Amino acid sequence: MRPALELAGVTKRYGGFTAVGDLSFEVKPGAILGFLGPNGAGKTTTLRMILGLIAPTSGELEVLGERDGRRVRGRIGFLPEERGLYRRMTPVGAIAFFASLKGVPEAEAKRRARRLLEENGLAQAADRQIRELSKGMSQKVQLLSAIAHEPELVILDEPFSGLDPVNQQALEGLIRGLAQRGATVLFSTHVMQHAERLCDQVVLLAGGRKVFDGNVADACSAAPRTLVLEGPFGCEALAGAPGVDSVHAEALDDGRTRLTAALSSGAPVQAVLKAAFDRNLEIASLELKQPHLHDAFIALTGPGEG
Amino acid sequence: MTRTFRIAAREYMAFVRTVGFWLSICLMPLGLLSVMFFSGMALRSAPTPRIAIVDLTPGAHQASALGAAAASGKPFAAIVVAAPPGDYTTPAAAGATVRPYLSGDRTTPSGDKLDAVAIVRGSAVDPSLDLWTRNINEPALQSRLSDALAAAARDARLRKAGLTPSQIDALDAAQPMVTQYSPRSRAGAVSFADRLPAIAGFAMGIVLWSLILTGAGILLNSVIEEKQNRILEVLLTSASAPEIMGGKILGAAAVTATALVVWVTVAFIVFGSANPALIAQLAALFISKGLIFYFLLYFVGGYLMYATLFTTIGAFCETPREAQTLLGPLMIVLTIPILFMGQAVTRPDAPLLQTLSWVPPFTPFLMAARAATGPPPWQVAGTAALMFATTAVELYVAGRAFRTGALASGRFDFGVFLAGITGRGERA
Repeated sequence: MRPALELAGVTKRYGGFTAVGDLSFEVKPGAILGFLGPNGAGKTTTLRMILGLIAPTSGELEVLGERDGRRVRGRIGFLPEERGLYRRMTPVGAIAFFASLKGVPEAEAKRRARRLLEENGLAQAADRQIRELSKGMSQKVQLLSAIAHEPELVILDEPFSGLDPVNQQALEGLIRGLAQRGATVLFSTHVMQHAERLCDQVVLLAGGRKVFDGNVADACSAAPRTLVLEGPFGCEALAGAPGVDSVHAEALDDGRTRLTAALSSGAPVQAVLKAAFDRNLEIASLELKQPHLHDAFIALTGPGEG
Repeated sequence: MTRTFRIAAREYMAFVRTVGFWLSICLMPLGLLSVMFFSGMALRSAPTPRIAIVDLTPGAHQASALGAAAASGKPFAAIVVAAPPGDYTTPAAAGATVRPYLSGDRTTPSGDKLDAVAIVRGSAVDPSLDLWTRNINEPALQSRLSDALAAAARDARLRKAGLTPSQIDALDAAQPMVTQYSPRSRAGAVSFADRLPAIAGFAMGIVLWSLILTGAGILLNSVIEEKQNRILEVLLTSASAPEIMGGKILGAAAVTATALVVWVTVAFIVFGSANPALIAQLAALFISKGLIFYFLLYFVGGYLMYATLFTTIGAFCETPREAQTLLGPLMIVLTIPILFMGQAVTRPDAPLLQTLSWVPPFTPFLMAARAATGPPPWQVAGTAALMFATTAVELYVAGRAFRTGALASGRFDFGVFLAGITGRGERA
């Protein structure tokens, strides 16, 4: 199956500054891709190149089978990072206007706008001016404006920023719904939890370069599992234990110490625990922590990022 | 094209649905009428000035003529009161006498506050006038008294020369009849109807100037708002830069056209009821003499030129303050046609005016003002061609720059602006 999106060696330079360097990845149709990276990693620049708003300095990209995103405008939905709508328009008017620009006939666009607003709990606000709505409601309206034309590729730039937890959860549901309908969803974020819950694929960017491309499980495996022990002992308690790469000690208020041991890839946890018990450590608590995307991100980009 | 029309329709509806738009449209003619009405009322309601006349000429024959002149005429008729007692023999003495009265410290024996004192010296045939006034910026009184004194002196000289009063009256009645003729006048003698085209041309230039700047201003604010809200970025993912620019320009043009229709309708109703013949003459002028064609030609050219410029500037600015900085020099340039439009009526063939008509930013206004006086066809064709060629180049450059500006963030950056207009910015 042809990828919905493919980038090959894409680079964007502004004078002597490389915003995006040699970026390559592809996204299968219907997948949810998380585009992750700290601020200034090159996420927005990449999204703008995909949309055809700016041209890459070098490299090639293919969007829905076209080499220029502008040729498939009508098949793409886009939510920018900084949000804004016509403040005096109604939600129905705004959604229908943007859908009509994407080729949906006006009457149908209005019908869809009302249906979407109803489905997302905004039926009461459908005919009020947007300036009268809360920030969360306005953001929802803008997202609906980006998808009312039922695009094949949905690009969301930091869609979760500024939303309260309830609306973040609702947005996650909406993104899943888009993918279930068959749309390919690409969203950028620097909050890893959303990506971890939603994404089939993640691409990690740092300093304009790709540092990881794969699924969440593979990304997480890039970070070590950790065994956390608390008790009246020091760093030396786990020194030389089998399967332990490094140990970090943290003094607690009650006089005890928290040891965080990074385990080697594939090392059996039992062997580490056995070594601890063999040394007669007075363990007050222990916890085995599986790595999360956040840990993987730190591991892949270095502690200075994110 | 559909997208262009949709953007235009949204732009149009966004303005015409607001109460503010209709208020501003109605306020324009209402404001003009109010200014005319209230300025007249202010003049009528102003306190009537009081003047004292001191005639020091032998026989004091001038006082009655000056009194009659002061007490009649426009814009006000003064009340002549008795002069306060005192020494008027020399200018210095007269000054000392009238100062307390004119400064309001004293009133005359009859209880009047004085606004002016006219002191006539010399003789009946060679008089001079010292006019003391409280209001130094009011020229009408001095002008009327001067004319009256000149006429009285003339009569005195004629009488001294031996003419009888009836002969002097006959002399006054024998004024030469002056008739102005021109090849431009069909009837030969020049009438108001012949002067009307030049007046209409001047008015057309002023209306065009106002309309074009109003439309361009609407566009500027609209683009700045969209840039501030990042709506432009979303629009660019839905339509091309030329489609967005085209839609916005078309929408604002429809808004200005609506304003024009309202103003013309109001003008027809007001002037039509007061002077139906004038309306008929104007209609004939605009339709049968083709002024409407010139109006449309220069409106399209001028509007496109300035609307494109203002739209592009708006795309690079996130606040109206930034736009004002950029527009400052442009607004100074735009005052030039206003200064020269009056000449288009009185001196349509002035070389400087003709030269300025060839400068594309001035062409729409100056040629519109000259149109009614029949400029040579080669000048009409040449200036129009140059205007549209400039507009085409501007549209090409602005189309490329618009996208760069729309995607740029932060404060206005002259480097980005230059890159945009030279095509070194982002994708066009």
